[in-house]
Amino acid sequence: MEGLFAQLLTTAFLATFIRSVVPLLLTALGGLFSERSGVVNIALDGLIIFGALAGAVSAKILEPSLGALAPWFGWLAGMIVGGLIAWIHAVLSIKYRADQVISGTAINLLASGVPAVILTALYQTSTESPKLNQGLPLWGVGELRFSPPVYFAFLVVALTWYVLYRTPYGLRLRATGEQPGAAASMGINVRRMRYSAVILSGVLAGTAGVFLSIGNLDSYVRNISAGGGFIALAALIFGQWKPLGVLGATVLFGFLQALSIALGGTDLLPPTLVSALPYLITILALILTGRSRAPKALGRPYDG
Amino acid sequence: MTTVPDFRPSGDSARIALIAAAVAAAGMLLFPLASLGRGGTDADAVLLHLSGRVLNLSSYQQAPLPPTGIILGLGWATLALLVATVVGALRRAPWLWITALLAFVLAGVAVLRLDSTLNEQVSRVMADTTLRAGAKRQLRNFYAGGGMNLGLFLPLLGGLIAAGAGLDARAWWHERYNRLRGLLVPVSAITLAIAVGAVVVLVVQPAVNLSGKPLGLTGGWLAKSDLVYFVYSSLFAPITSLNPLLDSLKLATPLIFTGLSVAFAFRTGLFNIGGPGQLTMGAVGAMLAGVYGPHWLGWGLLPLSIIAAGAFGALWGAIPGLLKARFGSSEVINTIMLNYIASAVFIFLIGTDTFPFLGRTYHLGLKAEGFEARSELLQPGARLPTMLQLLNVGSGGQTAISIGLLVAVVAFFVARALLKTRRTLLALVAAVVLGALTWRIGIPVNIAGSQLNASFLIALVCVVFFGTLMWRTATGYALRAVGLSPKAAEYGGISVARGTVLAMTIAGMFAGLAGLHYVNGGALDEYRLKGNMPVNVGFDGIAVALMGQNTPAGVVVSSLLFGTVDTGGLEVSRQLENVNRDIVTVLKALIVLFIAAGGFLSRRLIDPPPPQLLAAGAGGPPPGAQLTPEQAAHERATPSPNVGQASEDITREGGR
Repeated sequence: MEGLFAQLLTTAFLATFIRSVVPLLLTALGGLFSERSGVVNIALDGLIIFGALAGAVSAKILEPSLGALAPWFGWLAGMIVGGLIAWIHAVLSIKYRADQVISGTAINLLASGVPAVILTALYQTSTESPKLNQGLPLWGVGELRFSPPVYFAFLVVALTWYVLYRTPYGLRLRATGEQPGAAASMGINVRRMRYSAVILSGVLAGTAGVFLSIGNLDSYVRNISAGGGFIALAALIFGQWKPLGVLGATVLFGFLQALSIALGGTDLLPPTLVSALPYLITILALILTGRSRAPKALGRPYDG
Repeated sequence: MTTVPDFRPSGDSARIALIAAAVAAAGMLLFPLASLGRGGTDADAVLLHLSGRVLNLSSYQQAPLPPTGIILGLGWATLALLVATVVGALRRAPWLWITALLAFVLAGVAVLRLDSTLNEQVSRVMADTTLRAGAKRQLRNFYAGGGMNLGLFLPLLGGLIAAGAGLDARAWWHERYNRLRGLLVPVSAITLAIAVGAVVVLVVQPAVNLSGKPLGLTGGWLAKSDLVYFVYSSLFAPITSLNPLLDSLKLATPLIFTGLSVAFAFRTGLFNIGGPGQLTMGAVGAMLAGVYGPHWLGWGLLPLSIIAAGAFGALWGAIPGLLKARFGSSEVINTIMLNYIASAVFIFLIGTDTFPFLGRTYHLGLKAEGFEARSELLQPGARLPTMLQLLNVGSGGQTAISIGLLVAVVAFFVARALLKTRRTLLALVAAVVLGALTWRIGIPVNIAGSQLNASFLIALVCVVFFGTLMWRTATGYALRAVGLSPKAAEYGGISVARGTVLAMTIAGMFAGLAGLHYVNGGALDEYRLKGNMPVNVGFDGIAVALMGQNTPAGVVVSSLLFGTVDTGGLEVSRQLENVNRDIVTVLKALIVLFIAAGGFLSRRLIDPPPPQLLAAGAGGPPPGAQLTPEQAAHERATPSPNVGQASEDITREGGR
């Protein structure tokens, strides 16, 4: 037991912890925009994968010409591709009034097939992209050195809070998710609000993917998200669709993930079962929160 | 109310005919008409274009080519007829369907003519020994691989569609079409997915030139479009011969189970993404019963194993059902989380022999000796026989498939259609008697061993169970009521919470039974639980259920389709460099995507307002007013529930 606690108090554990939080946090904040506008976004996991793939592949392609700048353009590409894929979800669920869960599932299914097709076409392998010579730079001191998306993620928390509660856009967004009819009667373009929010969620989830592929590793590997998109979705519900609540929930889930990694080296619990712990906690968290605080129009197509 | 005065096709059918004929006509000009011969891999083919140009991409530069004059003539005539159809569709003339049908017939004649020409060529080459000398591959195989290409396939298809659309003007056809309206969305989704997949293949696979000559712009285009046709004809090829057909049935079996699972939950307004987890737990249950069940049970181990698989899957499905009914937490997230937990349990059970717990090491002992993650072998009594073992009535090492099963199925449906009273019971008796009588009659076949096993029959039993429970019992009525409108169901005295738990339990049972196929059926090449079990089949169930419109028969048909393209995907992976079976995964995802969007069809087409309403509004009968109220009711007999909406409502009510 003491061994574990000693291990948890090291800076190495803190670094693992923060690295586990960041993708969850970025993705959950993305989901927050989408769901606050009334569009269920179960596609987050797929958006992470597309962002990670786009980041790694475009950075690899640009590497010979741009050198150290290439990962930054990879980040940009990841954001754009994440946004584009989210736009597909937006078109289906807003314009074609598709069932939002099914549409999101379709994106996730796409994310399980398209990367393999692209990687096979480019590199004749279906599981991973070639390694970059250098990924995004690491900033910080000692063992606590992180790539820029880490700092960006915590900046986005503050930004999201400010945008949501202190800007006209945030007010309109909240209104759109709660009472789209009322919002429309006040001259808010509900469709446009929803499009922007869903695309924004893709941009943020894409950034989470970029962090995983070129901010943390130096290539895209199959199943890189490891279900992070779904945990982020659970964190969003657990955090009751509020920026600070989401921060708290992702910190908890990130801690559990880091803990399962730390426990893997000890003889306390079977590591395979410990790895299932975050999922179990998610189920418990869902029991505690339910959907009582969900935006009222969540999942309902708008007719206006 | 008067009937429609003339036989003019409606606007919609004229539009469909216009698009079909125009695409077919453009296709004849853009794509090669036929491949006169095809080698083994990549773009190894000789292509014929409508202009008469022959493009030899093959490694057989000196291959004698068959005469093509008649095919070209037929091709030009077909093109002329298609153009006439386009004009007809634009003018909405009544002779629309005649030209289209003629185009179809001419294209068909061209295909038949092509095949016989190629066959002549094969027999000529067979006879002429000089032509074969020194060739690594046999030249006759090269001709046997030829046949129609997109340029003849499109007019066949387009002509048929346009003719069908033209015939819509006749009341009799219009009625038939109205019954099939439910197929519009899946068919449109498949078509769109195939089109997008074709673009992917065009981009991804370079057109290689085996002969070494550079390809021009046209040549490159023809070679690439030929590749697209090659990929799709390989994907759908398994239907045409027996061994691949059995393979596709084998791949389709677990899809039937998981498809039924998703469809059953859908009908009750629940979205079961938990297929992978339920399948995994079902397989674990089947393994535990089959390996560790008491050996004195003998053949009794098999039913025990079946019950265990169903029960484990049902338990894993019941958990999210209970959580939703009791706490209102979304079954979507919970089933996904349970997938990850099931996968962890699975790896824990068969991945390691020992595990640490609070500082001490315990022995688990479910994993078999060796490096690979796998359980011990099943006891012989728990193994499912293969279908070949069941159906083979040949003697002395000969394989002959019994026709008994087929006769029984046909007899059942024929008797059911003919009888007036006690239809199902008497039809069942007739089926059993006729099946038993004809059991010893077999058709000798040339067949390699196949792992298609008796779980296919169990799947069919599940299909019947689904249909009976859902549409013939009070429980099914209650479940469907919950799916269509939880609030109304609650008001009608139906317990939404109970329905939710029951539906998820049965859905879990279906998915759990899929484990039988892998463990007891030996589909993983051994009769044991192995780490390489393809759990993604659980997700494929979503695509299967959506394409099958959540009906049992639809699930079977779409499972067979997916099993076929899965089998064909293996062949494509083997033959092409840059396209592999992942293209099949993308196609399935696209199908779900396009079905979600309603096939991008206008609502007027999918779900037209009752003609009486239109007539009242417009002051006259609209085209297609032949629809009687009974038929309109029939059309909507089994609407699919609005899943997202319904689950929201259940959640909000707290399930009580």
